[in-house]
Amino acid sequence: MAPWMSSGLIYASGLALTAGSITLLYIVTRTFNFAVASMATIGFYVVYTGVTLFGGLPYQYYPFVLIIGAITGVICYYGLNRPLLYRKAAETTLMMSTLGYDLILLSLIQMYADFLTYNFKLFPRRVTMSLFDFELFGERAAAFILPVIAIGFLMILHFFLTKTKFGIAMRATIENPTLAGASGINSDRVYLVSWIISGGMASLGGAFMVMAMTGTPVMGMYTIPLMFAGAILGGLGNIYGGILGGMVIGLTEYAGVYLLAQQFGPWVLGYRMGIPLFIMAATLLVFPRGLSGIPLGKIIKNLFAGQKRGASV
Amino acid sequence: MITNESSGDKFKGLIMSRIVFVLAVIIALLAFLYFSRGISIILTILIQVTIFSIITMSLNLESGYAGIPQFGRVAAVIAGAFAVGAIPGRIMAAFMGLPSGAEYASDTVNFKLVPEINSLLAGSWLISLGFLIMCLVLAALSGALIGWLISRPAIRLKEGYLGISMLAIGDFFMWVGHNWKIIVGGSTPVNVPDPFRMFGADRFNVIVPVFFVIAILIFIYLNKLTQSPFGRNLRMLRDNDLSANAAGLNIVKVRTQALVIGAAIAAIGGGLYVIYTGSVAAIGLTRLTFTFWPWAYMMLGGIGSNIGVFLGVFLLTILRTMIIIFRSTWFGFLMQVGIDPLWLEYTLLGAVIIIVILFMPHGLVPEKIAPMLPSKRIKKVLADRQAVSE
Repeated sequence: MAPWMSSGLIYASGLALTAGSITLLYIVTRTFNFAVASMATIGFYVVYTGVTLFGGLPYQYYPFVLIIGAITGVICYYGLNRPLLYRKAAETTLMMSTLGYDLILLSLIQMYADFLTYNFKLFPRRVTMSLFDFELFGERAAAFILPVIAIGFLMILHFFLTKTKFGIAMRATIENPTLAGASGINSDRVYLVSWIISGGMASLGGAFMVMAMTGTPVMGMYTIPLMFAGAILGGLGNIYGGILGGMVIGLTEYAGVYLLAQQFGPWVLGYRMGIPLFIMAATLLVFPRGLSGIPLGKIIKNLFAGQKRGASV
Repeated sequence: MITNESSGDKFKGLIMSRIVFVLAVIIALLAFLYFSRGISIILTILIQVTIFSIITMSLNLESGYAGIPQFGRVAAVIAGAFAVGAIPGRIMAAFMGLPSGAEYASDTVNFKLVPEINSLLAGSWLISLGFLIMCLVLAALSGALIGWLISRPAIRLKEGYLGISMLAIGDFFMWVGHNWKIIVGGSTPVNVPDPFRMFGADRFNVIVPVFFVIAILIFIYLNKLTQSPFGRNLRMLRDNDLSANAAGLNIVKVRTQALVIGAAIAAIGGGLYVIYTGSVAAIGLTRLTFTFWPWAYMMLGGIGSNIGVFLGVFLLTILRTMIIIFRSTWFGFLMQVGIDPLWLEYTLLGAVIIIVILFMPHGLVPEKIAPMLPSKRIKKVLADRQAVSE
């Protein structure tokens, strides 16, 4: 594999999870969750703390990442999002409230980094997490392990949403909250569970992404436009679209920068953020509802239907 | 009719009492700072208040009055800062026969050039004044241009989408400035010629009143603007864009106008900030300082109320400064475990946003819906009508 491929794959799996987390929360609660930035950073610091203080591989701390991410989600739900949802607050107000929560989390992260520096003589402000990785087939193991974990996580999520009773109730609430409430589904519980899942996903995504980039207390701050770009590219309509969008954004960032730098020289590297944003803008121009808005089924049907094509359009 | 009037008066009284109360708190805090730290800290606070109240008032025009979720305020501020950092210095250099092309922003040339321009500026108050006005005009023009450019693709998007794309655009501008050396030197900051150089040690004492006058002029302009038919159009758009459209309002046009005017004013704020600090470092023009802090100021002060925005900026700036200067005396317990109390600034920012949203959604000074005409005129019109009908 080319160097950009392994890093790109790792980074894209992380971005896919965070974009999926944003999408999930948006379709359930209409909240654009800014706090994903700090939740991702928290995921990184959980792994970093575990690896430096207790040793071992980064992967064995992922369960803790999920738990702590879920806890930050629950706090945000009960402290902030629930009262606002019951007040039927506007979309911008919901967005601002998560921004406030994100900034508080960011300050706590900064303080925690100070605390680690002072008491354990660590250097938590510039971390290369891939140093803690091992090699597999001459590549960083993360390039194989992380996509597998991401896909496994998604399969569990898919199973949860389609096969369990609660998952079906959740999908019903997403489709039509009023009708779901009328048929006896507790929307409060649905919101809570979606915060738990998306908090866990966001933190896990951060723990993934840091295997391909420098871990800093502000890494979430810097990557949040890309996470949102992934979610918007996916169309904010369903979770799989968001995950696909994050994947596309992450891979194009690495592949695009690599190809352009070969073509035009290394100065391109500074503008790497522009490439995914450009792709997002271009996609939205063609498909205003994002990737999940592409009527794939219809296209395939029309391809085989032959003469009926004109009629159905 | 009578009940309306009395409730209106009550509301007015409530607003006035709140304004007086907040002003009293601000003056008390300022007095405390003056007696414990001296005049220089007051001057610093005042300069920050003027700059950020300009930026926040522009945000208030776009988000408070027009209802556009402007999460990319930093883009216009950057436009102003870059314009002031890149263009007026070059014009002066070309005028003086110094290198003014791409090499102007290079770190090996710039630090020799700017003192020469400064010595020219220090010699004549007329050139200095002209330079300052040129800076402000250039900043406003480039801000308006950027605002128009951003409005083109963004204007048709819906609430959240619009906010997020503006946020991404703002970040992208910062990276462009950080990487493209020709504009403002890339990762090495470029120096800005100082139009206040002639005052020497009294520089701050002059900057404060000059900036204050500019801020007050903008305040008056925005107050006039928001009470004009244009301002009522904006509010109509914010409260219900469908009915505004049905009433024959061209939504895209009005929104574009709001974005362009707001961006021009924010760019003036960015230009003033750069003149005050004396250098432009692209990496320092962050989303946190120039988008999120203004949002917090605006929400604390009261969305849709210019006087409230001013009070919000004043109060929060004082609190921020107090955290910075009293960090070792008040937060010593944090320093004992190695934590820098400076991070409490973020906590304050987040806490203010959350508390305002949860407990006082209208802010310190709620928006006052002023009638279209002064109440005396309305009463007169009503009386005339009654007389006619009788």
